[in-house]
Amino acid sequence: MIVVAIAGAVLVEAVIPDRAVFHTAWYNVALLALVVWLGVRTRAQLRTSAGGRRGASILALALGAAILAFAGIANGLLAPDPQTIVGAPGQQVEVNDLGGALAFPQIDPLRLSSASRQPVPIALVRGGRNPVTPASKGYIGSFILRSIPRAVVGIDAHDASGAHLTITQPTGAVFLSPILMMESAQQISGLTLPYDSFALPAAHRIVKVVLFSAQQVAALRGIPGPPQPGVLLAVDDDTDAPIPHAIAFAHSGQSVSVGNVRLQPEVFIYPAVEIISAPSLPALVIGCVLIAGGLLAGFRADVKSA
Amino acid sequence: MEESPLERVRRDIYLRNIIRIGLSFVLLLVAVVVLLPLFRGEGPHVAGPAGLAGEPAPVFAMQDDTGGQVSLNHYRGKVVLMNLWATWCPPCRAELPDLQSLYAANASRGFVVIGVDQGESAQRTRIFARSLGVRFPIWLDRDQAYGRAYAALGLPTTVIIDRQGRIVRGFDGALTAEQMREAVKPLFLHT
Repeated sequence: MIVVAIAGAVLVEAVIPDRAVFHTAWYNVALLALVVWLGVRTRAQLRTSAGGRRGASILALALGAAILAFAGIANGLLAPDPQTIVGAPGQQVEVNDLGGALAFPQIDPLRLSSASRQPVPIALVRGGRNPVTPASKGYIGSFILRSIPRAVVGIDAHDASGAHLTITQPTGAVFLSPILMMESAQQISGLTLPYDSFALPAAHRIVKVVLFSAQQVAALRGIPGPPQPGVLLAVDDDTDAPIPHAIAFAHSGQSVSVGNVRLQPEVFIYPAVEIISAPSLPALVIGCVLIAGGLLAGFRADVKSA
Repeated sequence: MEESPLERVRRDIYLRNIIRIGLSFVLLLVAVVVLLPLFRGEGPHVAGPAGLAGEPAPVFAMQDDTGGQVSLNHYRGKVVLMNLWATWCPPCRAELPDLQSLYAANASRGFVVIGVDQGESAQRTRIFARSLGVRFPIWLDRDQAYGRAYAALGLPTTVIIDRQGRIVRGFDGALTAEQMREAVKPLFLHT
């Protein structure tokens, strides 16, 4: 019974690892209490058993359950909390926990076709091994990777004469990128909205960008056009000089003139990766094999004695 | 010959010790397997251009400042110094004449400098580069794909690529003429 309780608790942790409950103290103390209880019961049973198959069965069950519990407690108390890795297209982000780098695929932000709106796979690149795509759930060491779609904004910028402009992100994860990952948030009228910013060094402009979903756009008053995602653009001069007409709203794909520059935002979906710790897979396998072996040995001992 | 009770006790003790040692070893092994991945330290980070050494250089199809289609594949077999720059960047401007001198001195040895402008128009880039006497190829990276792929931390960014298309070194910021020469010199030893 105790073995079943431990195995159940830890296997649930492996199947739905993203629940916060597995990292709480009470859950892990309860698991530890079960192990102590199991130890006491096992000792008593080994003393009364005549050894042989019955003793081996008891020992294998206890050892298997103890290994499972250890894997569960180690994951619950020591493993890092779930983290989301956001990378710009074309970027490689080293993740030591995974022993490699997540390679975020390149896309063409300026000529986004309907095809490029499809989810693009991210690959985990590890020296000497085949890249792994975390599109579906799967174990990588003691972690499970999950691909999460996020709304990001690609920007195309021109100056007043029509010349194309370099976009930089002095505060972003990638300095030279026209794709805003929208990792920050801003409160506007009770709404929590994705927020990011970029610079146009050649035009001496700094632009703040707030992203609205299609539903939020539909709820806004005074925004004409079909309900589709859009962004609020607020332009500042990098020398703090006043700029007329410095705020504008643009639907995805719509070009607007604001603060003496012409900006065209394109909202699209790009994946991030969620890394969730889970009980060690080798430990789970060893524990389950021992428990299965223990059950089998116990069954055979029962048959023999009958 | 039958086993004496004393021998049987000794044998049992011996077997139990073997089992204990075996169990301890298994538990220790499981502990290492379970705990080791949880103590790798450092969080996620981006390597930057200097951390790309040994990686294959990414190849993107783009246009040069005359409107021609170009790609790194056209330069396989040559030592390539790829310099990311923009007209609004003063250190980039300061570096261009030294890059031109390096290119002129080593072009006959299978060496090429490629200036990759980040996100600007062809006309602006062409006029600017020619005014500084630049004769090496100028590419237009309108999507800033190389800026993202090299995880450039600023401008200029310089990446040196060997004849097999692998990144040898990456640099953040402007280089002196001496640093440029030193960076490419080892690649000419393997001609």
